[in-house]
Amino acid sequence: MASGMSWFSHYFCFLFFLLLTSTRVACFAEDEVNLLVIVVDVNPIWWGQQAQREPEFTLSKCLDGVMVMGNSHMALTRTNKLAVIASHCQDSHFLYPSKSLGGGGGAAEDTSSSRDGKYELLAVANSAIAEEIRNVLSKTEVRGNSTDTLLAGSLAKALCYIYRVSKELDVGQEIKSRILVIKAAEDCALQYMNFMNVIFAAQKQNILIDACVLDSDSGLLQQACDITGGLYLKIPQKLALTQYLLWVFLPDSEQRSQLVLPPPAHVDYRAACFCHRNLIEIGYVCSVCLSIFCNFSPICTTCETAFKIQLPQMVKPKKKKLKMPA
Amino acid sequence: MASLSEEVLLVVKKVRQRKQDGTLYLMAERIAWGPEGKDRFTVSHPYSDIRCQKISPDGKAKVQLQLVLHTGESTTFHFANESTALKDREAAKELLQQLLPKFKKKANKELEEKNRMLQEDPVLFQLYKDLVVSQVISAEEFWANRLGGLNNSEPAPYSNKQEVGISGAFLADIRPQTDGCNGLRYNLTTDIIESIFRTYPAVKQKYSENVPHSLTEKEFWTRFFQSHYFHRDRINTGTQDIFSECAKQDEKGLMSLVNKGVKNPLVDLLSLEDKTLDEGYGIKQALPSTSNTNKTVKESSNAAIIKRFNHHSAMVLAAGSRKNEVTADQASETSSTDGNSRDSDFFQPPVKKVKLQEAIEYEDLQRESKQKTVALNLKKSDRYAHGPVPLQSQKYTTSQDIINAVNCIQHEMAHYKPNLTQVREKNNNTFLPSTEMVPSDIQGELKHLYVAAGELLRHFWSCFPVNTSFLEDKLTGHLEEMLQTAYSKFHIWQTRRMMRKT
Repeated sequence: MASGMSWFSHYFCFLFFLLLTSTRVACFAEDEVNLLVIVVDVNPIWWGQQAQREPEFTLSKCLDGVMVMGNSHMALTRTNKLAVIASHCQDSHFLYPSKSLGGGGGAAEDTSSSRDGKYELLAVANSAIAEEIRNVLSKTEVRGNSTDTLLAGSLAKALCYIYRVSKELDVGQEIKSRILVIKAAEDCALQYMNFMNVIFAAQKQNILIDACVLDSDSGLLQQACDITGGLYLKIPQKLALTQYLLWVFLPDSEQRSQLVLPPPAHVDYRAACFCHRNLIEIGYVCSVCLSIFCNFSPICTTCETAFKIQLPQMVKPKKKKLKMPA
Repeated sequence: MASLSEEVLLVVKKVRQRKQDGTLYLMAERIAWGPEGKDRFTVSHPYSDIRCQKISPDGKAKVQLQLVLHTGESTTFHFANESTALKDREAAKELLQQLLPKFKKKANKELEEKNRMLQEDPVLFQLYKDLVVSQVISAEEFWANRLGGLNNSEPAPYSNKQEVGISGAFLADIRPQTDGCNGLRYNLTTDIIESIFRTYPAVKQKYSENVPHSLTEKEFWTRFFQSHYFHRDRINTGTQDIFSECAKQDEKGLMSLVNKGVKNPLVDLLSLEDKTLDEGYGIKQALPSTSNTNKTVKESSNAAIIKRFNHHSAMVLAAGSRKNEVTADQASETSSTDGNSRDSDFFQPPVKKVKLQEAIEYEDLQRESKQKTVALNLKKSDRYAHGPVPLQSQKYTTSQDIINAVNCIQHEMAHYKPNLTQVREKNNNTFLPSTEMVPSDIQGELKHLYVAAGELLRHFWSCFPVNTSFLEDKLTGHLEEMLQTAYSKFHIWQTRRMMRKT
């Protein structure tokens, strides 16, 4: 246990772990695999600027918090699995499990578990994550045109990884997976379509998407959490990242019902019109191409369909023809 | 006002109606009466409304004509002209008698059509009962949609019934019954007679020639059945028989049929003949000869029967494929004894092609004709790419900023080593606001509970490894009890705290 903790939080964590493990014993632990994929936003531009803004909380601290959470998750049950993906401006990279893990025997021995008696799995994971992030960031190229984090791509990779793991299970094992997104930089509007596809794919597969937002609110992630049933939280204090991660995002979906967690954020589902990109509540939708407009126009600008407007019909007064009395 | 464009057929003056003098007009479509001196008609009934007319008996003084309408009301006209009253009335009555049926038919026809429709379709009938009889909608509305085709003089759509063909066994159906005293009784129904006429036009011809001039119907049929034409062996054909001609005609017809052959290129009838391998391989040595003299009696009668069967079948088929020709002249009748149409003679190659085509293609397997659709033509499809998302103010970063930031982070992460023990800051006051919110007495209670639980856990862990039965008993009995009590204590404290809160 960390030496800096006060007794209260110490006791709190103890009770918490008791709760988590007790519910775990209820179900036969061997059968259910719990996979947590953490997607960390390592946008170098944002983190570089952050390092200049607040030197106390930098990417190192963030990664430390992520590692603590990962270790806690793996320590809860033997069948828990972990994956960490770094989401960069130029690509998405698996920090753990990494490709060099299997082959590089020399690297593993370097940070061998015997040094501090740590659970070997945790030691290996931590060293892998550290090694990989160093590699990723050292290979960063400076490019002006792509400054946005490729979050949609990382989520897609996470989904693929989950799918792969679920196919490689032993007979009789079930898997429950969720994705935790730790977001730093702003949303990229260009990734909208990919994002929505990923969200609906996750929903179909019953994969929760949780979001831990450090800086600015993200509408896309709010929608993701709302649709898949996950938790969205914008952290009030960045320095307390570890605690928020452990408190809110460590328990899985069954246990969340027994905890008091932050209430779900109100999601703004209003659409923006195609002509001005203003958020509107009532608008006009073209029946052919489904594009949304705020004002009526007789020709849809997207599909060029002409709509005939029906004017109110003039009612002609009926003349009654008087029939001959014959 | 009374300018009518209808033709006036009869005008009768001095006709009283309801004790008023006036003139009766019979027009093309209606009957009308106007009072004397006035131009307009007070009474006017279209003929289709009139159900029937009645006249007063001849002996009566008043010469009257009454019109009864479909609705039940009646109008009476009194012919008051002294001299010509009766004549007038007769003239009016005759004209009406001629005109009424024409219009009556029309009205009746509608009614008949409605009745027929209701009877034929029980669903419609039920609908009619439910809606019109119970007065949900009026009868007019009900029939408005359904009687569309009635005003055009089209034949009813149900007349495309399939025509009934001829049963091949119709002659066999006439089972002769013994009459008791050495006679046979044949029961002929009109159906059978019709079948005979349709199949053997020659017999029909004979019938029309002889009946009713020289023979009665009964005699004709008696002769028919007695003639050898009808019986199976036609060897003895006496010349006095009226049906001997029929036999000859049949022979002619059969020969022409055989000569025609079958036009289907896919069927080769000639290959069905027996092919002899050689003498002695189970086939009769002598080839069958066609001359009659060599045949034995049995063979010839067999041949005759078979020939008659074939002819009968051919005729039945021909009659079925021939449409109902009510008035067919002799020439066409004799020529239509063949089963195939004559035209195919002249058009052999196309027929072959058609037959081949029919054999190859199946209608079901043809490509379905798809509806022509209009393609969607999107001009600004990039609008969908960013979706209905509002414009966000992009943070402007200069390239220098970017370079600086990237350098900074690279520098930092180059020496990254995880330092997990320093995850939490030393100072307490920035985190978990609940720390301040928990009052000190509760903190104290919690502290006690925590210490107690810790002690119990220490006992628990000290029991392991379980070597002695004493330890085992302690674990299963004692400790479990203690843990339960501890848990219940905690639970009570928790509920108390919750209640205090509320």
